[in-house]
Amino acid sequence: MLTRKKAALLLLGGVLSGPVQSAEFDFSGIARGQWAVNTEDGSSQAFELALEPELVSRFDNGWKLTAIGRLRAETVDGLRPGDVNRDSYSQASQPGLVGQELEAELREFYLEGDLGEHYLTLGKQQVVWGKADGLKVLDVVNPQSFREFILEDFDNSRIPLWMVNVEHPLGNWDAQFIWIPDQTYHALPKRDATYAFSSPQRVPSAPPGVTVDVRDIERPQRFFADSDAGIRLSTFYKGWDITLNYLYQYSNFPVLFQRLVMSPTGPVAVIEPRYERTHVIGGTFSNAFGEWVVRGELGYFSDQFFLTDNASDADGIVESPELSYVLGFDWTGIEDTFLSAQLFQSRVTDSPTGLVRDELDTNLTFLARRDYHNDTLQAEVLWIVSMNHGDGLLRPKLVYEWQDNVKTWVGADIFYGDRDGLFGQFSDNDRIVIGVELGY
Amino acid sequence: MKTLTRHTRKGLITVLILAISPATNTLQAADWPTGDEIAQRINARDEGEAVSRNLTMEMIDRRGKKRVRETRGFRKYYGDEKRSVIFYQQPKNVKDTAFMTYDYPQADVDDDQWLYLPAMRKVRRISASDRGDYFLGTDFTYEDIKLESKVSIADYTRKTTGEDEVDGHHCYVVEALPVDDETAKELGYSRVEQCVDDAIWMVRRSRFWDTRGKLLKTIHTRGIRQVQGIWTQHHLEVENHKTSHRTVFTFSEVDYVKGVHDGVFTQKAIRRGL
Repeated sequence: MLTRKKAALLLLGGVLSGPVQSAEFDFSGIARGQWAVNTEDGSSQAFELALEPELVSRFDNGWKLTAIGRLRAETVDGLRPGDVNRDSYSQASQPGLVGQELEAELREFYLEGDLGEHYLTLGKQQVVWGKADGLKVLDVVNPQSFREFILEDFDNSRIPLWMVNVEHPLGNWDAQFIWIPDQTYHALPKRDATYAFSSPQRVPSAPPGVTVDVRDIERPQRFFADSDAGIRLSTFYKGWDITLNYLYQYSNFPVLFQRLVMSPTGPVAVIEPRYERTHVIGGTFSNAFGEWVVRGELGYFSDQFFLTDNASDADGIVESPELSYVLGFDWTGIEDTFLSAQLFQSRVTDSPTGLVRDELDTNLTFLARRDYHNDTLQAEVLWIVSMNHGDGLLRPKLVYEWQDNVKTWVGADIFYGDRDGLFGQFSDNDRIVIGVELGY
Repeated sequence: MKTLTRHTRKGLITVLILAISPATNTLQAADWPTGDEIAQRINARDEGEAVSRNLTMEMIDRRGKKRVRETRGFRKYYGDEKRSVIFYQQPKNVKDTAFMTYDYPQADVDDDQWLYLPAMRKVRRISASDRGDYFLGTDFTYEDIKLESKVSIADYTRKTTGEDEVDGHHCYVVEALPVDDETAKELGYSRVEQCVDDAIWMVRRSRFWDTRGKLLKTIHTRGIRQVQGIWTQHHLEVENHKTSHRTVFTFSEVDYVKGVHDGVFTQKAIRRGL
């Protein structure tokens, strides 16, 4: 029987088998190492080595094939590739695992080119929507790995998906259609991993004396009926960059439905994770006014599921639409300096009973970045603060470009505040990071 | 007749020289084109409707350490509106970075600029008022990059101050002063002196003074030769006198004839790359 992966490869091969006579190949890659030390006890929190080879083939008919791999080794317990739940990946996208420490993954593999007025990108890829930095509203087409919470660069933590991506001009607009049969969702840390979620906003807590039985995630199985699909319309009008977005998807976080059963040994809280569908409707904008750039995005999620502490609720979950938006301002009034502030808000619109999280959730981000010595040295501080819980994350970082292909960095990730908060839950994980990256 | 003493004769000669010199200068100045005429001639020079070219950027610090970027660039005029884009191709850490500008003819309309950073996988809108900032680690400002071999009429008042020779070519020396303090602050220059080759109306050497009046940098243009009938600069060298950092731009595979597809100057094009 033909597997989906083989079918996709055959499809790519079919497109290539046309008028192609010859190809040019461009091989490059990145080698990266990073060491993180926990400032609480001085222990190593992470020691990671990664190799990311990239091969780009350009064919004489104008098409291009890109293949990006990643070989990643992490030796410190709690952040190893094996410390992440792998059942959120589809078979076609699941990285290979050697022991618990070594992961091999075909990160991206796509063929792109013109077909009449259409521009096709076929294969495993990342599609990034949205204008926000640091936190996400509409950048939900691809799921992400939370192995290191949100500390890893999004380009590395985003999980590429097998999809069909077609772009087509429509008058003054450009339309992008995506169809995603790849049923891969957020990769979440296992319960004892370093960045396992413990905040009651994300994880239900069992009453004392009740044991917890977490069942396997109920995954969508149907190739066509359970695929995601979306469209983005974008234009440039009188200085404004505008997009209108629609996505019909399974939310990337599983919903943790709960029920209490009696067993011979006592009460058991059974948690049955399941992915649920939602419509995402939204848009983005940006424009520049003198030294300022204003940008924003808005997303309406029709069917979101939240934890409730309402004792009479049958499954511990309530459903409501959610409206999220971000408004950002960038300022470049000082030479070589970039200052940015963003307001993120999300509102659970139906006011369900017993909602554990606040109906209105507000986060602010501040970024200050300055370049020195002809951009060879960059200093930045990112501060993300939750207005609801008063917790936050502070990330100072220095990056130095030694040579064209060698850069090093030193930084810190400092969590603080209420342990029930999304950031405060990792208050024990403060760390200092040093790293080096070599391009070849 | 009373004999003139040696001292008196010397004094008279000095007076005569002093009397004649301004007259000579005035005569010469009357023959010189004005600063504005020179600026107009520079900007009237044919640049071709569209151009494609490779650009190698070498950035050299005071210790001689060199960083090199290989890029491919395109520029096209749509009436008086100019669109340009640069795609970075090497080295790996900046590969696929792209920078695009829509430069509008109206002085009171800001340019539109976008930057694609592959690490973010997003096209980012950037402010066009940073024109005095240095362009991606080079010693050229965003404004220098935008103007290419042209000059800004609206930002400066000009006067021709003399004649000179650069690389064996006769030049008029034009002093340009920003029209006001705000413009000077935006551009980062309080004064610019340009040596303009009056045979082909190209700037062969520019000196820039910072807003405190100190000599900031010198741009030396070499390798000027015709490509497909259009005078083209192939080698630009800028030295920052404050930091001793240098940047060398070398253009190659310049082509004005092939034409440039309109689709190159779009956000989706800088996202997709070359």
